[in-house]
Amino acid sequence: MPDQPAPPAPPESPSPSPAPRSEGGHTGGPPRRSEGHSGGGGGPRREGGGPGGPGGGPGGPRRGGKRQYFRKKKVCRFCVEHVDFIDYKKVDMLQPFVQERGKILPRRMTGTCSRHQRWLGEAIKRARNIALLPFATEL
Amino acid sequence: MDERIYDLIFICRPATPEEEVNKIVATLEHSSGEHGGKIEKTEKWGTRRLAYRVAKHREGFFVYMVVKSTQGDLIKELERRLKVSDAVIKYQTIRLDEELKRQQKLGKHRERRAGRRPRKQAPAAPQQPAQQVPAAAAE
Repeated sequence: MPDQPAPPAPPESPSPSPAPRSEGGHTGGPPRRSEGHSGGGGGPRREGGGPGGPGGGPGGPRRGGKRQYFRKKKVCRFCVEHVDFIDYKKVDMLQPFVQERGKILPRRMTGTCSRHQRWLGEAIKRARNIALLPFATEL
Repeated sequence: MDERIYDLIFICRPATPEEEVNKIVATLEHSSGEHGGKIEKTEKWGTRRLAYRVAKHREGFFVYMVVKSTQGDLIKELERRLKVSDAVIKYQTIRLDEELKRQQKLGKHRERRAGRRPRKQAPAAPQQPAQQVPAAAAE
């Protein structure tokens, strides 16, 4: 007996969360949040700033959607591969870090670390000087 | 002065005959010998598309060289010769020894750290990083 109830317990715990959702209404919102995130601190903060005050029904799901959106943490590609020197002659390596019009992509887009971005920028500029990469695409 | 390593790339007009390119390479070798330098490596990349128009050409014949020198005058002389010759439309010299030194230093640093790591961590975990790091360093 003690062994049997243990496995079904995990499936049971998520099931209550959909149940209040189906009930909906204004009261349904807050408990949903607390269950989903298990963080007591997060709940009240969102309640204060939440735009769902007037309409609990539509506001609730929207907030839920925001919370479910997790940005994948970007990792510096050069750090992963342990690159100590970015060669300006390897155009194929530089190409993904350049926009179509020839601009260098910012760090926030590629996730490159600051050190490698510095080296990368230098390499791209060298490649541009010797016509391996464009300064700007001409039409 | 310490020995310095330079990357020298020059681009010839696409219509230049191969002999002419060889002649330019030979003169560069000769003058580098005169100035106490040496050309370590010569690579002909062949005709490649230029990223932008240079001297009204969209293609160019790329030649890549690695120059070792103890005198800065050598680069001055090589660039003067390239500037004078009609076939060459673009050239670029880049000093690389400091970056190569940095690369070696970082590689050594990582090796040392990798060697230290197995002692600190549990025996099961460090085996993987230890294998990965030498492979990356070999690159």
